[in-house]
Amino acid sequence: MSTPTPARPIRVARRLSSREFIAEGFREIWSRRRLARYLVRADLHKHGADTFLGNVWWLLDPLLQMVVYVVLVSVIARVSKPDYPLFVFCAILPWKWFSTAVNDGISSVTSRERIIKQVKFPTIVLPVSATLSGVVNFVFGFIPLVALILLFFPHRQFATILLIPFVAVVQFVFSLAIAMFVAATNVFFRDIANVARHGLRLWFYLSPALYELSDVSERSQTLGTLMALNPWTPLFESYRAVIYEGTMPSWGPLAVLLAVSLVMLALATLYFKRLEPAFAKVL
Amino acid sequence: MGTPMSTRDAPPPYAVDAQDLGVRYNLRLTRQTTVRTSFRNLLKRSDGPTHFWALRNVSFRVVHGESLAIIGPNGAGKSTLLQVLAGIIRPNEGSVDVIGHVSSLLTLGAGFDPDLSGRDNIRLAGAFLGIHHREMEERLPGIVDFADLGDFIDASIKTYSSGMRARLGFSIATAVDPDVLIIDEVLSTGDAVFRAKSKKRIVELTKAAKGIVLVTHDMTWVTEFCNRAILLEGGRIVLEGAPADVVKLHQERSERSRIAREEELARRVAAVDKPSEATG
Repeated sequence: MSTPTPARPIRVARRLSSREFIAEGFREIWSRRRLARYLVRADLHKHGADTFLGNVWWLLDPLLQMVVYVVLVSVIARVSKPDYPLFVFCAILPWKWFSTAVNDGISSVTSRERIIKQVKFPTIVLPVSATLSGVVNFVFGFIPLVALILLFFPHRQFATILLIPFVAVVQFVFSLAIAMFVAATNVFFRDIANVARHGLRLWFYLSPALYELSDVSERSQTLGTLMALNPWTPLFESYRAVIYEGTMPSWGPLAVLLAVSLVMLALATLYFKRLEPAFAKVL
Repeated sequence: MGTPMSTRDAPPPYAVDAQDLGVRYNLRLTRQTTVRTSFRNLLKRSDGPTHFWALRNVSFRVVHGESLAIIGPNGAGKSTLLQVLAGIIRPNEGSVDVIGHVSSLLTLGAGFDPDLSGRDNIRLAGAFLGIHHREMEERLPGIVDFADLGDFIDASIKTYSSGMRARLGFSIATAVDPDVLIIDEVLSTGDAVFRAKSKKRIVELTKAAKGIVLVTHDMTWVTEFCNRAILLEGGRIVLEGAPADVVKLHQERSERSRIAREEELARRVAAVDKPSEATG
């Protein structure tokens, strides 16, 4: 009996190695960058176009948040720092990007349930676009930032502000890794959003956002060392250095965080790719 | 090797080759799980079956130029089978080889973003399907034309009626020229005019594609346009053969099960009525 020549299989049963999985994940993201772009645009459209003031909210939101924290800390807790509104604003801006990336990342896969079950496409693009839409929001935040500096704190105009992209790149890699991780996990455990809501708030207060690392380490050395392990410590400190203090960012800790984030990104990609085949069945 | 093969012995050029397919669903991982429920599931190990085979031992081939219909009752595993062929679900057993570029026209308009305009949704759908944007821009006028939505094409999708959505979905899905076409019940969309138009489109695609696998409840379509049919029940192939035979068996079996259901219902009604008679 003659066996027919085996057809060239498209779907191979062979399991890919970890490294192949990661490489495939990155290749998929790159090859579908157009899809990511459309998704980002759709997301921006959704957030901007339908509200009364449209994009004005993007400018007002961080400013209003700043007012809340300034009232909370300088009036109620009676902590005084020079130019505290600007101090707080340096933290609000990047944190908004991060929390949006995490929250949107969580629902990025589950909210596209229908198309995932109908069309074969690399779902890894979804958390990537969730993280990317935050970038636009972040960039918009510079309008109120610059306005704030020029109008109220003209003595805080520093050229170091141009170093923000270096800090932002580290934050992007870190956020992307987290977004991928939560996006895949949320398919199997739908209550990640509840955990994240409180977890993020706690994380913000435990990070040197409304205060400085030195405020803590002065009081307790061990607490200061523990806080240095928080990825958001070098990020907040660096943003503040370049915007508020006009000094160089903490390059050393930033470099370490970048290295750690890249490893995390590789692991998150692997995690996502391993779970991806089950998405269409579980959703 | 090297010996010239006669046409009879030559391996037929398969478009789709499915061997011993099996798809298993883990019932513990069904939708809307939370950390709490999964802990509970871990503790309670012995309540009912943990797995469910949506498909088992399914083997078939689609030769080039062939049009295969999959029919069967609801829940027979038809859609799961199409998902496997489209590469959306990986089978737990067996293998599928699909030669060439596959296009799946599963439920239409699945990826629509209600806030975007019809035109932007066409671009988004193209990006989801992995069609190069330049190619998509070229096809855009044709898609817009076929959907025939007038000025609505630039309005956001949430203003569309369900028929308009379906028309746009159909136009996008059929704008590609695939080697293997996978269709899930898309023949009954829109009004009568559009239905006739879409039927014509499908027939054209059927002629152009190397192979077609479709799921439908339209039995006249099966007998008119398909070369072969498979009756699927409970995830297993009941009969594979000429469309007329398979449709006949399907109709007989569904008729029989309908009668059985009615008898069962009648029996239950009688059982309920009896005590009331006794008391009354």
